[in-house]
Amino acid sequence: MSAGNSDFVLKVEGISKRFGGLQALQSVDMHVKPGEFHAIIGPNGAGKSTFFNTLTGLLKADEGRISFDGRNVTGLAPHRLTRLGMGRTFQITRVFHGMTVLENVQVALCAHAQQTWKVWTAASGLHVQRAKDLLERVGLAAQWARTAKTLAHGDQKRLELAIALASQPKLLLLDEPTAGMAAQERLASIQLVHQVAQQLGISCVFTEHDMAVVFAVASRITVLHQGKVLAVGLPQEVRASAVVQQVYLGEPVVTDGQPVPQG
Amino acid sequence: MTSHRKWAALVCTLLVLLPWSLSDFWIFIAIEVLAFALYAMSFNLLLGFGGMLSFGHAAFFGVGAYSAAIFFKRSGLDVTWMFTLAPLVAMGVSAVMAGMIGFFSVRRSGIYFSMLTFAFQMLLFTVAMKASGLTGGDDGITGLKPPGTLGTPMGYYWYALAWCLPCVYLLHRLVHSPFGLTLRALKDDPMRVQYVGVHVRQHQWVAFVISAACAGLAGALFAFSTGNVFPSWLNWTASATPVVMAVLGGVQSFYGPAVGAAVYVVLEVMISGKTEYWPLAMGIIIVLLVLLMPTGLVGRLKKVDT
Repeated sequence: MSAGNSDFVLKVEGISKRFGGLQALQSVDMHVKPGEFHAIIGPNGAGKSTFFNTLTGLLKADEGRISFDGRNVTGLAPHRLTRLGMGRTFQITRVFHGMTVLENVQVALCAHAQQTWKVWTAASGLHVQRAKDLLERVGLAAQWARTAKTLAHGDQKRLELAIALASQPKLLLLDEPTAGMAAQERLASIQLVHQVAQQLGISCVFTEHDMAVVFAVASRITVLHQGKVLAVGLPQEVRASAVVQQVYLGEPVVTDGQPVPQG
Repeated sequence: MTSHRKWAALVCTLLVLLPWSLSDFWIFIAIEVLAFALYAMSFNLLLGFGGMLSFGHAAFFGVGAYSAAIFFKRSGLDVTWMFTLAPLVAMGVSAVMAGMIGFFSVRRSGIYFSMLTFAFQMLLFTVAMKASGLTGGDDGITGLKPPGTLGTPMGYYWYALAWCLPCVYLLHRLVHSPFGLTLRALKDDPMRVQYVGVHVRQHQWVAFVISAACAGLAGALFAFSTGNVFPSWLNWTASATPVVMAVLGGVQSFYGPAVGAAVYVVLEVMISGKTEYWPLAMGIIIVLLVLLMPTGLVGRLKKVDT
């Protein structure tokens, strides 16, 4: 299986996951083309988080196959996925609170350069310029010397993005990138991610609750409902879909989850 | 940076000159401080930098002491070779032991990591108590005093210092290296560290082994200073000592645990000379210090130190 030789940067085929009596995911497919900004939406309990955690290697699927960049990555550990070029951010922002903003990015750059086993070199001088460039990109350049925990929540999100970018990902997975933000901050935040991803040629998959955010940036949408793919398509197709409207209006859905508009 | 080096040079010089200003008794205490400072700093590589609270660190101090003692009794080498090799043997055996214990312990985090290290330590304590043929059982191993110049307080102080300083320098380089930066990141958020592409357990395991090797050296140096090794060194109460020293001095700072060790040892000597209830007095002092200076003595003096 040759890497990099594929129409899809991410190809998920028939992923199923069961927790005891709960079928959290049932034969979920998803295809992400290079450069896509792919949203996963669905009501609470639809299986978004389970799906996301399976993609990022935290959970192992019972069935199915995940290919990334033309390579079978099913069941690979998170650090391996990251090294292959799959970055992620978390719903509840995870940065290194006790370290400076610069160090936060430096540690990711050291990891990317496979330097974490170096015990004799001083870390403080490594990748400083590259780290500052990344901070510039996310708009944190002026704050590089601050301790991460003193940053505002929105700035911590930016920092987490810079950390993820340090691994030079081909694909960025963002779990609720605007969670915990005020409504007016959300659009600006996702647009920053969108802009940076386009500049760097990174494909993105993100889960999101806020439909305004989704429709502002998504180039494609997968709708999950009760662990199945309810619909896949372009934003306007999904918005027009009767089944999706039913689900979001809270009416009982009788359909067996046939993917509506396929295209 | 240069001022940092000047400070380091000054402290090293003072440490070398120190025994000329002390009585034999206080030189003996200074040796204890050296050994326990190294022990507490090695322990703090795990707690303060890696965020791993080992409840069983006495295992490695004890294993180092016992392996040096057994090497002393059985190898039949002459004095020069003996005292060149014994600390290395202690470090090696402690490292191998930590390799095995760490292999299992780093598979769990938080309190479960602590409990695993605790359990392995109790296992080693039992071995030290029961394997009398090797360890002397209850009686431990005695008669470990080095002969000649090395047996004088001043001679042995310099010998111990000559082992401690390079070891501390090594730890210092380590915590400021990319490996050390990774450890600090691990302390903050192991999950995030996985997603920068780091194999978390491998790094924790290596830190555990390095820390244990340094603790083993400290154990060996202390054993030759007192001339004895006892199984109580491996008992769980002994694992509290580096915890208290590190917290007292400040776990956020590299040198904090060394200061904590010095304060702890000197206080213990001074108070135990006055009252047989010295653990009570020590307890009160530690409670007060922790309440009033939660970041430790060094943390109090210096707000940021890395």
